[in-house]
Amino acid sequence: MASAFRLQCHCILIFLAALKGETRYLEAKGAGEDEPFLLLSADLKRELAGRQLYHRALRCIDMLSVEGQFTFTAEQPQLHCAAFFIGDPEELITLDYDFVNIDCQGGDFLKVFDGWILKGEKFPSSLDHPLPTSERYIDFCESGNIRRSFRSSQNVAMIFFRIHEPGNGFTFTIKKNANLFPCNVISQTPTGRFTMVIPHQHRNCSFSIIYPVVIKISDLILGHLNSLHLKVSCLFVS
Amino acid sequence: MKLQLLVSTGILLVALLPCHDCRALSKSPPAAASAPLPPDFLHPQPSLPVLLRMGEEYFLRLGNLNKSPTASFFASSSSSSSRLPPGAPATNFFRAAVQQLQQLPERSLESAAGPGEGEAESLPREAMEREKRSEEPPISLDLTFHLLREVLEMARAEQLAQQAHSNRKLMEIIGK
Repeated sequence: MASAFRLQCHCILIFLAALKGETRYLEAKGAGEDEPFLLLSADLKRELAGRQLYHRALRCIDMLSVEGQFTFTAEQPQLHCAAFFIGDPEELITLDYDFVNIDCQGGDFLKVFDGWILKGEKFPSSLDHPLPTSERYIDFCESGNIRRSFRSSQNVAMIFFRIHEPGNGFTFTIKKNANLFPCNVISQTPTGRFTMVIPHQHRNCSFSIIYPVVIKISDLILGHLNSLHLKVSCLFVS
Repeated sequence: MKLQLLVSTGILLVALLPCHDCRALSKSPPAAASAPLPPDFLHPQPSLPVLLRMGEEYFLRLGNLNKSPTASFFASSSSSSSRLPPGAPATNFFRAAVQQLQQLPERSLESAAGPGEGEAESLPREAMEREKRSEEPPISLDLTFHLLREVLEMARAEQLAQQAHSNRKLMEIIGK
């Protein structure tokens, strides 16, 4: 009887933890990259840790979805360049400037934008992002000596840069960090399944796909607060 | 006579005096690069965000209403691909994309020369430029969704290749 009561208490505790959303942390931690390396010896782990960081040259128009170090060197005046960063839905983008050689006074600029912006349309939109548009731009020429590291609020980010003088350029490192409860997501793939969990937060979230797809919402659980009306809308992208 | 001389001298001075707001009149980026630019050039100038976002307007102005930017892009890429080695599709793609994007502001500079002249005498002070900074549209890239999907596919291919390389290294290490 005592053991049955104990089992019931354990079940209640697990149920309460699941309702609070904390189990998602355990799920993310358990599915981490270190799990397959637990069986390896210390020497092998040391050898794996010493692997060199992925490095390649950055193009004027580029898209990065891997971690690594990227270098841009202008061979000619490059006035309209941008690089997009995208990670998995459960990841955040971290950018660290390793080396910057641009002429800010000469009209060069290097700006990081928290999200994507195309033809003036922002993602996440101004309604969904916690920061105003002006604060989503981090200008190296204005704050380079103070802030050389940037972390995105979602799984996408981008940089704009302009370099007049050939030979000038910059180097940065991209890393990805886990985002336990992604709110605004751009999907890399046109197929798949995604579950968005928003625990006890009053905010707008979004999930975007830049491919022509059909989105089916298979399960939807919305909170209710007095007379709050639940609204379900299906988005078809063509 | 004297009045005419003074008027012509004044016109010459206005035309030849260096003016940061007159960048719209410059012909080419390298020529413009030789002149020092103020650090807040991008923010107060209404021309740059318009230049970056003038893709659709530019194509409409040329009568490309039914011609998408991707069609023109593929036309340039297919013509250039015949000259490039077959093993360089990615290089060809990005070169064509950059050329397409760089052509937009150059032609837009020329087409904006008319209305730009009217702005030559405006915005004399940095304070006014700062006030207008908040009213300026944000910096963005005029890239079509099709091109965006293309670069995204390339990024995914790179990610898969990198993952395959890591797996190969891991198997080599484990096999020791």
